[in-house]
Amino acid sequence: MVTSYIPLNLDECLKILSDKQVRIVAGGTDMLIQNRSHTSMPIGFKSDVCYISNIEELKKIYEDETFVYIGSVCSLEAIMESELVPELLKNTILEMASPAIRHTATLAGNIGNASPAGDSLVPLYLLDALVEKRSIKGVSKVALSDFITGVRKIDLEKDELITKVIIPKISFTKSYFKKVGPRLSDAISKLSFAGAYKLENDLVKDIRIAFGSVNVTVVRRRDLEERLIGKTKDEVKKMVSEIVDWYEEFIKPIDDQRSNKEYRKSISLKLLRSFIENIE
Amino acid sequence: MKDISISINKVDNEDKCSGKAKYVADYKLEGMLYAFTVRSQIAKGEILKIEYPELPNGYYVVDYKDVPGKNIVKVIYEDMPVFTTGKITYLYEPISLIIGPEKQVLNDLLKQVKITYKEEEPVFEWTDSVVHYHFDKGLGEKAFQGLEKVEYDYKTSYQEQAYIETQGFIGYPEKDKVTLLGSIQCPYYVKNAVVQALGEKEDNVRVIQATVGGAFGGKEEYPSLIGCQLAVAVKKIKKPIQLIFEREEDMLVTTKRHPSRVHFEGYVLDNKIHGLKAVVGIDGGANIGLSGVVLSRALIACTGAYKIDNLDISGDVFRTNTVPNGAFRGFGAPQMFFAVEMFFEHVAKKLGIDPLEFKLNHLAKQNDFTSTMGIFRDPVLMPEMITKVIETSDYLNKRKEYEKSEFKGVGMSLFFHGCGFTGSGEQNHIKAKVKLKKDKDKVYILIAAVDMGQGVKTSFRKLVSHILEIDIERVIFDNPDTDFVPDSGPTVASRTMMIVGGIVARAAKEMKDRFDEESFVVEKQYVQPEYIKYDEATFKGDAYPAYSWGVNVVEVEVDKDTYQVSIKKTWSVYDIGKAIDERIVMGQADGGLAQGLAYGYLEVMEHKQGKIMQKNMTDYIIPTAMDMCPMETYLFDNPYAFGPYGAKGVGELSLIGGAPAVAMAIEQAIKRRVFKIPVTPEYIMELINNGEN
Amino acid sequence: MAKIKFKLNGEIKELDTDPSRRLLDVLRDDFNLTGPKEGCGEGECGACAVLMNKEIVNSCSVPLANVLNKEIITIEGFSKTKRYQVIKDSFAKAGGVQCGFCTPGMIIATESLLNKNPHPNEFEIKIGLSGNLCRCTGYNLIIEAVKLAAEAGEGLW
Ligand SMILES: Cc1cc2nc3c(=O)[nH]c(=O)nc-3n(C[C@H](O)[C@H](O)[C@H](O)COP(=O)(O)OP(=O)(O)OC[C@H]3O[C@@H](n4cnc5c(N)ncnc54)[C@H](O)[C@@H]3O)c2cc1C
Ligand code: FES
Ligand code: FES
Repeated sequence: MVTSYIPLNLDECLKILSDKQVRIVAGGTDMLIQNRSHTSMPIGFKSDVCYISNIEELKKIYEDETFVYIGSVCSLEAIMESELVPELLKNTILEMASPAIRHTATLAGNIGNASPAGDSLVPLYLLDALVEKRSIKGVSKVALSDFITGVRKIDLEKDELITKVIIPKISFTKSYFKKVGPRLSDAISKLSFAGAYKLENDLVKDIRIAFGSVNVTVVRRRDLEERLIGKTKDEVKKMVSEIVDWYEEFIKPIDDQRSNKEYRKSISLKLLRSFIENIE
Repeated sequence: MKDISISINKVDNEDKCSGKAKYVADYKLEGMLYAFTVRSQIAKGEILKIEYPELPNGYYVVDYKDVPGKNIVKVIYEDMPVFTTGKITYLYEPISLIIGPEKQVLNDLLKQVKITYKEEEPVFEWTDSVVHYHFDKGLGEKAFQGLEKVEYDYKTSYQEQAYIETQGFIGYPEKDKVTLLGSIQCPYYVKNAVVQALGEKEDNVRVIQATVGGAFGGKEEYPSLIGCQLAVAVKKIKKPIQLIFEREEDMLVTTKRHPSRVHFEGYVLDNKIHGLKAVVGIDGGANIGLSGVVLSRALIACTGAYKIDNLDISGDVFRTNTVPNGAFRGFGAPQMFFAVEMFFEHVAKKLGIDPLEFKLNHLAKQNDFTSTMGIFRDPVLMPEMITKVIETSDYLNKRKEYEKSEFKGVGMSLFFHGCGFTGSGEQNHIKAKVKLKKDKDKVYILIAAVDMGQGVKTSFRKLVSHILEIDIERVIFDNPDTDFVPDSGPTVASRTMMIVGGIVARAAKEMKDRFDEESFVVEKQYVQPEYIKYDEATFKGDAYPAYSWGVNVVEVEVDKDTYQVSIKKTWSVYDIGKAIDERIVMGQADGGLAQGLAYGYLEVMEHKQGKIMQKNMTDYIIPTAMDMCPMETYLFDNPYAFGPYGAKGVGELSLIGGAPAVAMAIEQAIKRRVFKIPVTPEYIMELINNGEN
Repeated sequence: MAKIKFKLNGEIKELDTDPSRRLLDVLRDDFNLTGPKEGCGEGECGACAVLMNKEIVNSCSVPLANVLNKEIITIEGFSKTKRYQVIKDSFAKAGGVQCGFCTPGMIIATESLLNKNPHPNEFEIKIGLSGNLCRCTGYNLIIEAVKLAAEAGEGLW
């Protein structure tokens, strides 16, 4: 039997992480399923585990002038109900899993799981979200796009814990998330798309585009976005085919039991096209 | 007297809502052991050697060597071993059970089993025909000469029953008996199979039905396999043992709806199909089981709801090294009605005629010959039913309007379902018996019919109380136990109310005449209506005693960016003779249609090298509440003389029209011809890029 | 092993057991509460749903460790309430029960929904039930049942 640690506060938790070799479990909605063994048997974890869902300090959502801070143990449902959280993220969460799962699953867990199909990652990349990590040695912040390094790979030391997800406050003229799943709820994405822009006097001040489930991690290309900034919206709309071409090479989906690469690629690019064409 | 159709509360609501109802996994027996299944890891070959780890005390392996009787599961076509003797014919074929008190230990033991195989090249192509049928009607092929030929091909894939409760049994010894308690549709199928496998006397095998958490055909013949395995184990070990599948195991190894291919050639003169040639194939998987019956039911439905005078129909069941396929609500009809409805649509389009008009011109009428030269004896209400569905759905206007717009469509399917077993199956094979027992002020219904959610317990108690004119509380109907109930046949083929209910009604009428006697039993047996004459070998005669009929209209929208389909609404009209309880029938109507629709556009299941790719509820997509739409349903009374109060079959009918209707609606929405189901967004994309209108 | 204390159907319980067991197994095996069912064992079907601090969770995807100091109500506990009576009667009236395997979970989902939103519209009802798979009914009669419950239970939520 593996050893389970159930710290009740952050200090206790960091101490465990520093002293022991453990896997972190938050809501457990990924960890339990991935390590499932059999009915009436304990979860088949391969190492000791540390359950963090009882750490009250990590259940807060608050803001300052520039950021919204989401404690890493907040449930998805709590995040969806908070007034501080950007609509784009809330709309995304509403399309994730089901009420029962959202009551226990966490945002940090979706990040920690680092699945190419992790839905929240798409708006979080788009919003330039940061991850706050903490260990007994101290605290640091990294951009989410640096934190996730590959399929199920994250930049986290064994003694570190994600303590917050930090979202810059940005205002957009419009933001949009589209999940394409095999059915309308309670399903893993075949692909997903998020787009947002800010217009001032018809000039594009900011534009952001992100794709999920079509590469090892979320596809977001700041270099391509920058090419559009400063142009008028009509100029950008006229460039639509060109823009679609730019992104083409970065959309590299796979075939699996949920869909095929032709569909994933083609629809991703269609959603991009439709997003650009509908800039208003 | 009140109309029998007026709904009453279902008798098992309270237990099911409160969580008190006991399903097989909810029973715990003193000293119960658990059974895990050792399975092959290859699709085809021979086991050269099996090495089991050393078993701790109290742990057992049970395999073919322990089968005291015949090592074959008793189904129609007997080719499935209880445990393989060494030949492997599909991936995850059961080899043995490992049994013991601790799941953790079993899990570890299972991982240590070492099997060496001699692998052979598995066959996935449809080349090995095991069952071949052919029949003609009219002049057959000869009538085709000189007529214009229109031909198309249709394909359907797997469908998984996806009952929410997985398969399972608990077995235990009782004196000389082996007793099985399980999630099953057919207590006597299991009993007879176990009797054969154990080589035991009938009295020494007892099968009891636990509350069943959904079945849909999936618990028709498959439980006979695991029931036999467990019975062998109980007989050897003499302790209670539980064998319950995990979801993934259930999805990987249990029977599914047969994938099918249908080639149609229509021979046309003056805008009418005078001749039809059909070449049908279904994938039986590694064991044929009852695939032959599925095929024959599909073939009999080859003309759909229409009359075609000359037929040349043939079909094959192919054996492949894949998971065996089997019973699923509809039993061959969903595949065939998809193909035939699409074919009529496509031929009409090719001829430049309105498809509905074309279909109406071919519609079968009372006294017309069926595909097998039987007769539609009862009134066929389809014209009125179609009028009703058109009125309520505004079909004609929508059809016209969506012809001009993009990504919206409506589709209409016309269909029937042959009620009960084919031909003389009831009389020759099933020979259903029922008992009604009066004991003081209570009446007991003693039949083997299983309530798997379709409401048999309620409708039968209602039926009997209605005839006897007594309070329903006085009528008792417990889950069947083969020690107490006679063999009234399996709970399949939409036969339960029409056939078993019919016999029960006769028994109840006799009981009523003697009702002042305090305690007595009335026993009745099935009597075949005299007109039924059917030759199974030549497909000639009345294939079914009666037909239920249906019309579905489905309206869809296809997302222009993602090609995701959303179903807006459905309208249905059914002729099921007479509803014994309207609310129960409405539940069957909605539930069946949901499965039929999903078969048509949502549910994807494929195998790769014999391995099912969608092996859990995350990857096998059945609809959620978000995916389903409002459904408007109307029932037409059309009493059938031999059904109780005129009732015919309900259970399967509502599944059959969903897939063709949704496929036709999508076809209109995307202006491309649809030739296979499910019509997924991926397929729609392919059609939009390369398909023909 | 660890001591896990939580409230179950109104009573405080303390177990000395492996916190990596699934809540579902603890309920079914240790307390013989077999109302929550295992349909999929992977969070997808909702047959195992229970209330945790009044909200629906899937007990097959909750480790016992996460139940520490929480309040769990299973269908057995909930069936003693007035709200249950209203919901049950509505399910009966609408015809929302067939095989019944999904039903305890559906009722828990209904309670969780109405507790947050006593007057849901049809779309909100669908969202509320979206994690509970039912293979028998096609959902319409269940949606109808939730509507009826919201009306009949006016003031209870
Ligand atoms: C039925 C079902 C449906 C689902 N649907 C969706 C969906 O639609 N979209 C989607 O994106 N996902 C979905 N998921 C996946 C899952 O629910 C999400 O990824 C969820 O956000 C994970 O959160 P959790 O707290 O449960 O993670 P856990 O399982 O507890 O952890 C996940 C990973 O993150 C790590 N981790 C968690 N918290 C921390 C932390 N604070 N610091 C460091 N590492 C941490 C863990 O070690 C683990 O590697 C679904 C899952 C299920 C069971
Ligand atoms: S068993 Fe828990 S969600 Fe299916
Ligand atoms: S009633 Fe059978 S699964 Fe819902």
